[in-house]
Parts: sequence; structure tokens; C-alpha cells
Amino acid sequence: MEKARELKFESPDFIQRLKGMLGVDFYRLFHTPMYYIFLAIAAIIPAMILGMTSIENAEGVVAPLYTNTWQIVAAETPLYVVSDIAEYANMNMVFIFGGIMVSIFIGHDYKSGYVKQLFTTHAKKQDYMMSKALVGAFSMACMCITYLLGGVIAGLLVGASFEVNVISLIFAVLGKMVMSLGWASLYTFLNIIFRRYFGISIASSFFFGTGILIIGVAAIIGNNSALNIFLYGSSVYACLSATAVSFIICLAVSIIWSIIYTVLGTKILSKSDVY
Amino acid sequence: MNAIEIRDLRKSFGAKQALCGLNMTVPVGAIYGFIGENGSGKSTTEKIICGLIHQSGGNIKLFGRDHTDADVRARVGVLIEAPGCFPNYSVWNNLMLQAANLSIKNADDEVRKVLRTVRMEGAASNKYKNCSLGMKQRIGIAMALLGNPALLVLDEPINGLDADGMRIMREVLSDITKNYQCTVVISSHILGELEKIATHYGIVRGGKMIREMTAEELEAGCRTYVALQTKDMNRTKTLLGCKYSRVVEENGYIRVYDAESPEEIVTYLYENNILVSEITTDKIGLEEYYIDLMNEKEVR
Repeated sequence: MEKARELKFESPDFIQRLKGMLGVDFYRLFHTPMYYIFLAIAAIIPAMILGMTSIENAEGVVAPLYTNTWQIVAAETPLYVVSDIAEYANMNMVFIFGGIMVSIFIGHDYKSGYVKQLFTTHAKKQDYMMSKALVGAFSMACMCITYLLGGVIAGLLVGASFEVNVISLIFAVLGKMVMSLGWASLYTFLNIIFRRYFGISIASSFFFGTGILIIGVAAIIGNNSALNIFLYGSSVYACLSATAVSFIICLAVSIIWSIIYTVLGTKILSKSDVY
Repeated sequence: MNAIEIRDLRKSFGAKQALCGLNMTVPVGAIYGFIGENGSGKSTTEKIICGLIHQSGGNIKLFGRDHTDADVRARVGVLIEAPGCFPNYSVWNNLMLQAANLSIKNADDEVRKVLRTVRMEGAASNKYKNCSLGMKQRIGIAMALLGNPALLVLDEPINGLDADGMRIMREVLSDITKNYQCTVVISSHILGELEKIATHYGIVRGGKMIREMTAEELEAGCRTYVALQTKDMNRTKTLLGCKYSRVVEENGYIRVYDAESPEEIVTYLYENNILVSEITTDKIGLEEYYIDLMNEKEVR
């Protein structure tokens, strides 16, 4: 009884908990070779696309898909309906690589037993969702930067035009970078649902990351700005004609979806067994 | 106040009922040996206590609070099955990451302390994946000790260890009970080892607690037996079997469980022209008590 009276129970507050969990996740991110591999892939892909589409074909004709370097970053106007690969292949592809990376990252949490160790302490499920989403968003935002660098270097090498409205370009790139948060939250949510099935987690992240559902809807309803309420729609909306309004829309959509996925993921984690 | 108080705990996995109204009381400061055969519900109970799985019904209180309370969870250390470590990180880094998750200040000192406790100071820089099973189990205990736990739940920490690993683990557990003054729940199949450290026992079967007792109660409840050797063991066994209800030959000795005294046996054998070359009395251990109890329930 004496011992019982001496016992004190207090847990860290939300900020401390999140700080601790983010510290662990960022440490893991920076010490994971996979992260650097994905950064490199993000840089190589635009360089490859720009380079390969700028070389002579069998008839000795050069028919580049892109007339301007920045088209590898974003489309000139919001094109939800895709008619050729050039309209699709831009910085939005980062969200596909990011999805695979987040899946591997979370899959490793379960494989190693880290979540088991985590959830036997005071850690809250909501902290876990937030930490993964923030780290995933950071990694995808970094991929956006390496993608941009890869595109610029390739553009210089193939001698493509760099003519652009700089302000719109900045809003487009920033818009896509802030979309990372929404995408990372979606991937975290998908990985929570399929936490026992690693293969399905990766496949579902890839599937949603391609934006195929929105492209399909757009094929039916056309280039409708209502599609901006979805993650893929807003990501497309951050284009080379973007304005401050486009950026704000991207930011708002990203945050709203992030909250929705975090709340849903927290509910699922709280109601189901850890393993 | 009890460290753990469980009432009417139920858990089902689909149609399978894993726990059927289990009750459990672990006093503060106890070293609670949690015993039961495979599939009896030990691990399920521990996982529920630790918040890894949800119960289908019943109440669990840890130190008088709900077991999901974050404040109380902050002082629960757990080793369930294998520790949750990253295989490519060093032992030190794995512990530092757990310390960060627990928001421990002076993490370096704390990690050094737990490594000392589990006799792993020299292996801090080893990669987790290169550690032996015994070392991994001790790393798991070190992780559980981070954050000064008031309750430690260890699921079969000594199973699968070799003799040396078991000796080290025994020393580690003994140190923990002395230095950390926490309540410990240990489940194990190696009852001989458990008997050396436990102060309380809980025996579970078919998802129900069939007996809870203190070490003193176990001591009092354990029957004495007489172990003896003669030159003609077969005849001795037959003769004793006619007079006593439970006579067993084990390890070169004949054990008689319900004799009044050794003198009574010596006299009886002498009258039948058998000379006793060695005789001793002893009490049955936890293992035999457990087997007896299980057999008893089986008969019922």
C-alpha cells in the first residue's frame, strides 16, 4: 500500500508526444536508403522522359512531346481529361512514388513490431497517423524538389525552352508540394486499412496515386473545376497558369483531406486490434 | 489498490472464445507468475492488458484506473513475444528511439542504465539483427524498463533460451525486482524458473482463471513426498503400490506421495525383507502442483 501511494502517473502532453514520434520517424526516414533511392528516382524520371522524347526516331525526325521544360513540371492549363502521355507525365507522378514509399515505411512499422512497442505505451493512434502523414508529406515535398532539379537539368541538356511565367511556376510547384500532405494522409489511411496485407497496401497506394479514378470521372464529365475538391484534381489544378488562388485551393484541399483521413484512420486504429 | 484487477474478461476471435470471464488480481509489488498451457488465454490476456487487442467484455483496471488511460499506460513496460526493434539499427539506437517515443529526458543516461540492468552494456553497438535470441529477449526487457515502469508485463521471456541465457535472464529478473520496485507479470512454461522468483501465481485454463495464490499458499498447498532407493526397486514399487495410492518411479527414486512419515515406509519395507539404502522427504514443486491441478480438473 505504501508503494501504491508513492506511484505517480502522468503522460507527456500532445506536443511532447508528437515531437517524440516525429523525431523517431524523421530519424528513420533519414537513415533509410529507400528514401534516397526515391529522391533519385524522382530526379531521374523527368530527365528520362524529357531526354527520351527529344531524341531522333527511326526516321531521323525529332518529335518532342514537350516544347517547354516546365511542361514536365505541370500542364499549361488544368487538364483533368488526359489525351496523351505528355499531359499526364508531370510532377504529379511524385505522388505515385511517394505512395509506394509511405507503404514501405508503414509496412516496416508492422513487420518490425515497432507499432506493437509503440501502442503499448501512452502513444495515441491519432499521433501515429499525424506523424506518418507529416513525414510522408515531407518526403514527397523533397521528391518534388529533386523532380524539379532533374527536369531543369534535362531541359538544359536537351536545349528545351525555359520560357515561363515565373510567378505561376512558383505557385504551381508550391501547390504541388502542399498537396503532399493530403496524399501522404491518404496513403497512411490506406496502409492502416490494409496493414495486414503489405502487397495490397502498395497496390492500393499506386492505384489511387495514379489518379485514375478522377481521370475516369473527368472522361465522363469533362474538364470540370469541381474535380478540384479531390486530391488529384487539385494537384492538376496547380499548373503553369496557377495563381495565388490556385495555391490557396491546393492548401485548403490538402489540409481538409488530411484531417478527414487522419480522423478516419484514427477511428479504425482505435476500434481494431493492433495485430 | 491492486496493480491489475480484471473482472469477467471475455474475448472472442470470430466463433472461438479465447477468454470466458477471466478474473485476475495482481497486488502492487507482486511478481506474478502467469501459468497455463498453450492456448489457455495467457497471451490474449496480456495483450489486452497492454492495449494491443480489445476485449469483447469485462473490466480491466491498472492501479485503479482504466487500462487505456494514457497516464497509466506511460508507466507500463511490455515484452510480448519478440521486442519491436528495427533489425538494421544498433541496440543503442533502438533503445534511443523508444526513449524518444516515451519523451524521456536524459535518454542517454536512462538507456545506459537499462543496458546495465540487462547485462548488455558491451553489446550496445551491435546491430539488433546480429544479436542472439537471449540477447534479443534482454533488449526487449531493456525497452520495457525505459520510462521507469510501475508495471512490467513479460510474455514468456525465458522460453527458448539455453542454460546460460536462462541463468543471465534469472539474474536480470532478480535485479529488476530488487532495483525497479515494479509489479511484474511473467508468463512462462518453465515453471521451475518461475518458482524461483514469483511471489504470486495465477493458473489459467480454457480462458478462465482456475486458481490464484501466493507463494506461501503454494508452499502450504504442496504435498510432501518420500523418495527412496532400494536394491530391488521393482519389488519395492509393487509392495508400496499395495499400501499407498500414489507411488511413482522417477530419476532412479521411488516417490511415495501419501505416506505419513519415512519411518512408516522403512518399517513396512523391513517387515517385507527389503532394506532401504537411501531415503529423503521433500515437497512437490510448482510444476508438479500444476500437473496435479490440471489432472484434477481433467478428472472432474
